[in-house]
Amino acid sequence: MRIHRLGRPAVIAAAALTLVAVACSNTSSTTSTSGGTTTGGFQGTALNGAGSTFAQPLYQLWSQSFLQKEPGAQINYQAIGSGGGIEQFTAQTVDFGATDVPLQSDEISNLPNQNYIEFPTALGAVVFAYNVQGVDSGLKLDGKTISDIFLGNITKWNDQAIASQNPGVNLPDEPIQTVHRSDESGTTAVWTGWLSAESPEWASKVGADKAVQWPVGTGASGNDGVAAGISQTEGGAGYLSYDFAKTAGLGIADIQAPDGSYVAPSIESISKAGGGLKFPIQSDTTIINSSAKGAYPVASTTYVLIYTDQTDQAKAQTLVDFWTWALTDGQSQTEQINYSPLPSAFAKDALKELAKINVNGTPVSPTSSTG
Amino acid sequence: MATIDAPPEAAPATPLRRRRRFGDRAFRWTTLVVSVGLVVMLALLLWVLADGGWRAIREFGLHFIIGRDWNPVAGRETYGALPFIFGTVVTSLIAMVIAMPIGVGVALFLNESGSSWIKNPLAVLVDLLAAIPSVVYGIWGLFVLVPLFDRTVQPWMSASIGKVPIIGGLFTFDGPGGDIFTAGVILAIMILPIVTAVTREVVSVVSTETREGAMALGATRYETIRLGVLPTARPGIIGAGMLGLGRALGETIAVALVIGNSTRITASLFNPGYTIPAVIANEFREATSAGVHRSALLFLALLLVLIALGMATVSRLLVRRTTRLLGGDVAAQEEAATSTLGMA
Amino acid sequence: MSATVPAIEVPRTISSQRRTKDRIFSIALWASVVIALIPLLLIVYRVVRLGLAAVSVSLFAHTALPANMAGGGMKQAFLGTAMIVGIAIVISVPLGVLTGIYLSEYGSGRIASVVRFTAEILLSIPSIVAGAFIWALVVVALGSFSGFAAGVALTVIMWPIMARATEEVLRLVPTELREGGLALGYPRWRVIMRVVLPTAGAGVLTAIMLAVARGLGETAPVLLTALGNDFVNTNPMKPTDAVPLRVYNYVQSAYPAWRALAWGGALMLLLGVLVLSVTARMLSIRQQRRMR
Repeated sequence: MRIHRLGRPAVIAAAALTLVAVACSNTSSTTSTSGGTTTGGFQGTALNGAGSTFAQPLYQLWSQSFLQKEPGAQINYQAIGSGGGIEQFTAQTVDFGATDVPLQSDEISNLPNQNYIEFPTALGAVVFAYNVQGVDSGLKLDGKTISDIFLGNITKWNDQAIASQNPGVNLPDEPIQTVHRSDESGTTAVWTGWLSAESPEWASKVGADKAVQWPVGTGASGNDGVAAGISQTEGGAGYLSYDFAKTAGLGIADIQAPDGSYVAPSIESISKAGGGLKFPIQSDTTIINSSAKGAYPVASTTYVLIYTDQTDQAKAQTLVDFWTWALTDGQSQTEQINYSPLPSAFAKDALKELAKINVNGTPVSPTSSTG
Repeated sequence: MATIDAPPEAAPATPLRRRRRFGDRAFRWTTLVVSVGLVVMLALLLWVLADGGWRAIREFGLHFIIGRDWNPVAGRETYGALPFIFGTVVTSLIAMVIAMPIGVGVALFLNESGSSWIKNPLAVLVDLLAAIPSVVYGIWGLFVLVPLFDRTVQPWMSASIGKVPIIGGLFTFDGPGGDIFTAGVILAIMILPIVTAVTREVVSVVSTETREGAMALGATRYETIRLGVLPTARPGIIGAGMLGLGRALGETIAVALVIGNSTRITASLFNPGYTIPAVIANEFREATSAGVHRSALLFLALLLVLIALGMATVSRLLVRRTTRLLGGDVAAQEEAATSTLGMA
Repeated sequence: MSATVPAIEVPRTISSQRRTKDRIFSIALWASVVIALIPLLLIVYRVVRLGLAAVSVSLFAHTALPANMAGGGMKQAFLGTAMIVGIAIVISVPLGVLTGIYLSEYGSGRIASVVRFTAEILLSIPSIVAGAFIWALVVVALGSFSGFAAGVALTVIMWPIMARATEEVLRLVPTELREGGLALGYPRWRVIMRVVLPTAGAGVLTAIMLAVARGLGETAPVLLTALGNDFVNTNPMKPTDAVPLRVYNYVQSAYPAWRALAWGGALMLLLGVLVLSVTARMLSIRQQRRMR
């Protein structure tokens, strides 16, 4: 009887508070880290980044590796899409943004302050993948043909445009079923950017962006949705990011470069395309159709956005340390997950960009052993 | 509620009484303020969405609702909500067509069934359907239902009904992946519990006199229900349907995972589509505020609220009216609806 | 109120035709029950089977890892959900109970009708709208995605549930109890807090459980307000992970390892919700028995 004095609601409230307290007091850290040299002293602090889905596997790998250097540097990267990365960077709700497409002029003018750095972190590519019986990897295609496929002008695999580039290949008389991304993605932005450059008809009818109105074809979500769509359909074709296509077991096309030769995507051919990169990054900076010999035409890069004028010392230090590491030691990890490293000279230039980061005017330099 | 004052002998001295009255007033005032806070929250919600969506309305006006083009491409931005309205309406209709007969059937079964041995566990099981989180429906739908339909149901229906002229176009199989039909089926499963719960309450209040009278005349159970119970309960059943419809219109996550996310309006139900909640969920975090994209999504959210508002009002009116007409317990039956919605 | 017996011309004996119709009708009812139960069984079976395969120590002990690294888990999501739902409970339970008290004890006027109607509307709006609302209000204002914002978004959903359910439960407490308390000289507010509320205690607990079961599984509001986190986060003002959110992301990912974890998360969600719902129902039955 007396117990009712407090009443059940109070007990519930107490339980709830206990739950919250337990959750909040749980300070156990993350996964186990093995050995590795730490930056003797500075442990790093938690950061939040968001944006490009293309960069997700790479940044998450880097994040885990960097924990061995600075165990406190819990870098939380959420792949909400390039548009999301720009938006959250603009709203200043994240410590760094990630985007596959450089900031455009209207996005720049929408920023709260114009003191930021924008630098690429790795190279990738978009490939044309297909599932046609009897046709192996290495089908030769040029930009105009591929544009026409996605426009719906070319509808059969044995179309003259395809056959003329591939003498000796047995192309079946079956329809081409194109698959595209239904979600917003930097991969789409790069691909449609290239299509726009290759085909005036594409440029005027559809244009280039993270999501466009596709004239034909079915939509699928994410790289794996597209890969699944292609592999489940005889005669299916679509575009995928290189790191994903490599493991998907689909046929991959050799695409015609500006000099007329057909180039297959590979870590080497993608690296070559990066040769044209230089600072400052403009809104039309792109490495597609690189003039370097042997460069894969539809190569892309992904950018990181950071405001230079920071106020939190620990965060600024972690930012500098992490990205310095990523641009140096981290580059050697790119190939294991099918990305390409930046050209080393360009990476050094990117480090100079990082040097602009300051806390209340005082520049932040990387903690010694991450340099 | 009768208020009885304490007997005069026990009346305490004046300061205590004043303190007591202050305590009462403070308490009542606190609960009042908090309750009004609920109303303020709704008003705030409407205002925030309207404020955010204003730019889209100003730029596109009526065309926003009837336009078929949803193009976030910078430089050629245009936003027409018709594909989403279409998808929302069609998936909900499919859900209703499937869930209403089955839901009413289950409700009648539960009501007519004598043995509590079947009735109670069954009622619990149907309510459990309401408790399953949307994302669990989504993962099951995406990995089980979509492939199943793609491999069996849809090719079969396409080959059979699909060949029938005119309506066959609805059932033409296009390719693997999510589609409107599968989304409609998932929705049907999700709204079934609320249709059942409310129908059950509505049907149960039909006066036993009606039933006994019919049975005394020698009517079979079927006739009793069809001629005696259902006509009287009809407005309430419609109300139950509208509550279910309201839920179907707003369901987000499960639909987003199985509908295929295509902004094209096509004839076939087996093609991918899109709904208003799904597009908000998919595009919201990415929609940049530099253009009109985010504003367009906020306006869609406002549309959803207004639709839900309308549906909730009408359906509650219908359900309440039926119950009152039949002299039933409005409170108990509203509790049924509430608890199911609460779990839903 | 006596209802009119419908005017049916019913012959004294039941023709075989009528009997057949009746039988078909019974079969139809049975069939609808079976059809209704099939999806439930299918879903539970699949979630349990694939979910159990993913349940292991690492699901709970390890945080998220890239898909190509073994031993990843969802620890940060479970703790994040606990924090977010905890915040939602702390805010919505007092608010909901107080609202329910108002509606039940003082609720005969026009203000009460408006409040009730508001609760009904809020119960019907899609949860994604709650997410968009709180994003605009809290995330933008505070300049960060946060567990707190997610908790507030869940409150938008849980508050009306708590309010209506509390009202229903309090109404069932007999007026004699209130009158008795008042007769003993207690002020009204003490009667409510010390007599009415505790008597309805199990019912209020049921209401809380139902609201929590709902909040636990909600993805959409959390999607727009919490951002998600690969690490355990103890600060409510920072981005936080949640189980439904993590499941939603993993489900759509390209990696089998993540998708397997998604089933594990789905199983835990299902278990949590089922336990709460069943407990709530049992409490509710016990409460109803007390009220007789």
